[in-house]
Amino acid sequence: MKVAFYPGCVSKGACPELYVSARLIAEPLGLELHELVSAPCTGAGVLSEQNRELADALNGLTLAMAEAEGADLMTICSTCQGVLSDHNFHLKNDEARREKANATIADQGYSYGGTATVKHLLWMLFEDIGIERVTASIKRKLTGLKIAPFYGCYILRPSEALGLRERPERKTYLNQLIALLGAEPVEYRGATKCCGFPMLTFNRDKALAMGGNHIIEAKEKGADLLVTPCPLCHLNLDGQQPDAARVLKQDIDVPIFHLPQLLGLAFGFEPDELRLNHHVVSTKGALEKVELKV
Amino acid sequence: MQFTIEVGRYNPEGVYADDAQPGLPFPPPWDKSPVRRYQTYTVDLPEHAVVLDALIAIREYLDPSLAVRCACRSAICGSCGMWINGHANLACKSKLAAFSQGGKTRVESPPSMPLIRDLVCDMKPFWDKHLAVRPWLENKQPTPPADREYRVPNASMEELIQEVSCISCGVCLMDCESFAVNQDFLGPQALAQAYRYAGDPRDDKTKERLGQYSGPGGIWDCTHCFECVQQCPKGVAPLDQILKLRKMAVDAGFTHNPGTRHADAFAESVKHSGRLNELTLMPKSTGLFNIVGQLKTLPSAINMARAGKLPPLIHKSIPGVERIRKIFQRVGGRFK
Amino acid sequence: MVIDHDVIVLGAGLAGMRAALEAARDGANVAIVTKVHPIRSHSSAAQGGINAAIGEGDSWESHAFDTIKGSDYLADQDAVEVMVREAPQDIIEFEHMGVIFYRNEEGRLGTRAFGGASQARTYFVGDITGQALLVTLYDQILKAGVKVYEEWFATKLYMDGGACCGVVALEMVTGELHLLRAKAVIVAAGGMGRLYEPSTNALICTGDGYSLAYRAGAPLMDMAMVQYHPTTLAGSGFLMTEAARGEGAYLLNSLGERFMKKYAPNKMELAARDVTSRAEATEIAEGRGIDGNVLLDLRHLGPEVILKKLPQIHEMALDYLSIDMIKEPVPVRPGMHYEMGGIKTDVEGATVIAGLYAAGEVACVSVHGGNRLGANSLLDTIVFGRRSGRAAAGYAKGTPPNRGGEDVLRAEQERLQQLLARSYTGETCAGLRLELATMMDEKVGLYRSDAGLHQALEALRGFRKRYENVAVGDKGRVFNQALTFVLELGYLLDCGETVIRDAIVRKESRGAHTHVDYPERNDADWLKHTLLTLHRDREEPEVSHVPVTITRWKPEVRTY
Repeated sequence: MKVAFYPGCVSKGACPELYVSARLIAEPLGLELHELVSAPCTGAGVLSEQNRELADALNGLTLAMAEAEGADLMTICSTCQGVLSDHNFHLKNDEARREKANATIADQGYSYGGTATVKHLLWMLFEDIGIERVTASIKRKLTGLKIAPFYGCYILRPSEALGLRERPERKTYLNQLIALLGAEPVEYRGATKCCGFPMLTFNRDKALAMGGNHIIEAKEKGADLLVTPCPLCHLNLDGQQPDAARVLKQDIDVPIFHLPQLLGLAFGFEPDELRLNHHVVSTKGALEKVELKV
Repeated sequence: MQFTIEVGRYNPEGVYADDAQPGLPFPPPWDKSPVRRYQTYTVDLPEHAVVLDALIAIREYLDPSLAVRCACRSAICGSCGMWINGHANLACKSKLAAFSQGGKTRVESPPSMPLIRDLVCDMKPFWDKHLAVRPWLENKQPTPPADREYRVPNASMEELIQEVSCISCGVCLMDCESFAVNQDFLGPQALAQAYRYAGDPRDDKTKERLGQYSGPGGIWDCTHCFECVQQCPKGVAPLDQILKLRKMAVDAGFTHNPGTRHADAFAESVKHSGRLNELTLMPKSTGLFNIVGQLKTLPSAINMARAGKLPPLIHKSIPGVERIRKIFQRVGGRFK
Repeated sequence: MVIDHDVIVLGAGLAGMRAALEAARDGANVAIVTKVHPIRSHSSAAQGGINAAIGEGDSWESHAFDTIKGSDYLADQDAVEVMVREAPQDIIEFEHMGVIFYRNEEGRLGTRAFGGASQARTYFVGDITGQALLVTLYDQILKAGVKVYEEWFATKLYMDGGACCGVVALEMVTGELHLLRAKAVIVAAGGMGRLYEPSTNALICTGDGYSLAYRAGAPLMDMAMVQYHPTTLAGSGFLMTEAARGEGAYLLNSLGERFMKKYAPNKMELAARDVTSRAEATEIAEGRGIDGNVLLDLRHLGPEVILKKLPQIHEMALDYLSIDMIKEPVPVRPGMHYEMGGIKTDVEGATVIAGLYAAGEVACVSVHGGNRLGANSLLDTIVFGRRSGRAAAGYAKGTPPNRGGEDVLRAEQERLQQLLARSYTGETCAGLRLELATMMDEKVGLYRSDAGLHQALEALRGFRKRYENVAVGDKGRVFNQALTFVLELGYLLDCGETVIRDAIVRKESRGAHTHVDYPERNDADWLKHTLLTLHRDREEPEVSHVPVTITRWKPEVRTY
């Protein structure tokens, strides 16, 4: 299945392990990745709040590129998903906004017709690839692992632009997937909460406490690891975890996996291939539970 | 239709015994144990009944010791904000059938607010925040004579009806992620009301307001999680109002804060390379000359570098980045 | 605890807060005592708008005439004149406070049409006008720094030497009883809708103010005048604003006919409320209803008007009946909505008792007479709220502080203790209230008869006896709502008794009081108010009458 692949800045920057693992799992899932190499950053909501017209133009350009590819746009980042869904929702439904965005990008040879579909890999697993294909690709059941899902805000809220009203089941895909891979999903409140990343530069200690609290809650419910479809959550939950532990004056030490890393493990890839050895919080303990080493 | 409700009970003086059922003598035996616990009730109500209907039925006929605030029953008075299955909602607007999970609905006072009794929480933090944004019109001078209204376009009044629709139920604050870790955060409702006055063409103190709201606990302490937008029963969308305030504040020149520096650094990076450069974003947002702030981020940076999680030192531009620069030139505004 | 203020305002709706603000502006040390947070007050449920003759081509005389005709000539015309003449400046003042009133193309205040009015003179904010006024006024109270005793439940007025000297109130959170002494008390505690089932009113509208004043010896006037609103939602009984019809909605019967053409050929759906409600009842009684309802049809208004100007009722029909009024008509029926009568006051809000004032729905000035026009109630609250606040502050200036009252506080503590000590006999507070309210709707509702009213009085006597056996289902101190519900039921019984007795006395049909045994209005005998006064140590009130003040509008036959 051909998809217009939008990896997002972070997977090509601070979280290269996400990009690498996403590329690895494409084949067993039958995904033909046509990477939108010239597509700009979504602005992560920061640009949308300061200058909607600018963000409409930038995201309109990306959506037009996907349209030109003739395939659904696939993200691997909840934040990219949220921002693109939001702009797509408005550009589809508000003709004036779309015309304005098109006027800005017209001389680049692009025009957005309002037909693109933006889907996170997580959604595609259930809605396009199908769980039969996912199940067929499993080579290594993750039995014995207790895994806490961490969705990230922008893949859940606001629900209208994300199509969650029509498809409320999207709120449970991560839990379903964990079970499908043979592991046990951990039920905890933090699963749908904010990791704190958007506030990290404004109010560092509070942002760290926010993410740290969720990991601690999951740990107390027995989680061996957290899995997230959002690399920005990963940056805060993994990259800043030692600092969060310091702020909360509490040991945390729970590894955070990217969604494609978890899939990759189940599909039989080795931890090193998935760069699970390049995390701030060691993945060793969790991997040992499924008799793997890093 | 039978509905089963688990109600979070608490009485600082003690709790009534479980299993209060019609027909039994009540008040049920007094049990001196001031603990929080769940008490289960079964009520028979029409299919379209809301959670509040169940609570009223319990209070009126099963257990008169259940304390719950409610008045209008129709999402106007804002009394019955509470936690329903782990999220803040108005009890009078939440259909039982939609909320029943495994045949049960769990109702309790939100853990984010101090508890008085049963479903009655102390709303003081909420009202204190409301007061803190100075939620009243500071009349633009000259105030029209006593027989003349301000002449303003209807659109400018309609623009504010979304915020005026707020019924102060507190649902947004109860589930606010920033408030959960930062009690000083003004919160969604107060900041939505802040915009209601800052955005009023008849207000004279817009600039002072924006200065205040840009300070600690203000608009930049929101973590942008959309919980308030999702949970607000009246469509106030507090986050949208906070974002409007951010834009107004920056436009008014309140730029000496990490929030604005973050936005500027973000825009600079995207304009320059088409992508985000995490390497320069964090230091620039913290303020290049903010030595203490920079040092605070250092341990994390070292950890990430050690793990191989730092972005490439040479930040590559996307192909065709000239396109992006042109877009910025056209509609970049402040970011040109 | 004993606390002293110059002025105590009981209730924090529009009338109460407006009174407090005015008293504060006048320099009085004022405090509000309210059983719910001010924002929870029922004023917020007023949807449609507020009337004033501001526009060109309109005049206060026209507004006065419409109000008086609407009242079926029972309103005091001097009082109406005060209200309508001061209406424009009060509305402009609220605009200056920040209310986001709808504007016309010139950016000036714009209007919508409303029932019983000869001009479109209703100013509004969508269909949340009451809420918009209430939140703005609350914010003004914050700005002025007025002290609010929030979630304090009044149990008694403190009377000394024939004057009102304060209030005894229960602090819900602690369960402590306090004496709040004041030189003047303004009762602005709202309506008594819970006396009827169903009703558009909130659960907190339990007639506290009527009963407290009545028990203190203040006469209640024209209590029989209970308004049924023509459009309350089927099932729940929630209010569907008259603004829907003001914007052009139709009332249809089961045959799809705009039946109002038979009853009010000129004003059609915008006839006065009593007329419209009776018309609906007739249609339903003659078999042209739909499951006891008629239909409110807004479809032809289009989504733009509905979503912009009537978003709240759109949401309510969707939430509680799963009906989208853009696509389907909404089943509605007449439902109890408002008490025109109340504590008798003059135009300054003063009652016959020194130091006791009243304003808002609980008061009867009388500007609504036998039937209130839509959008005149918000006006009543802000005009007479302001006037009573000023008058009470003025009175307080010339009055020395009160002393004593500790004995009253102790007696109240004793009374509540005894109430709490009652043991359960099978009688529940909620069950009794429901029986009372259902009985009132049946026998003292839209239509009344001699036989029915006497049965009602008899039933009420029975309820009073049973009330003595109602136990408080909670013995605690902290937020004991079971206790306040029992006290509220006591207030409702007083309201019920005065409504029934007044209805028995008035042997004619006028305004909301439709007496099947006396179907005609009788100006020769009944162009007068009825006062019910409870004297100390007496169980039954004394009935007396005062003439209606007629200035320039002589009673005429009333058609719409």
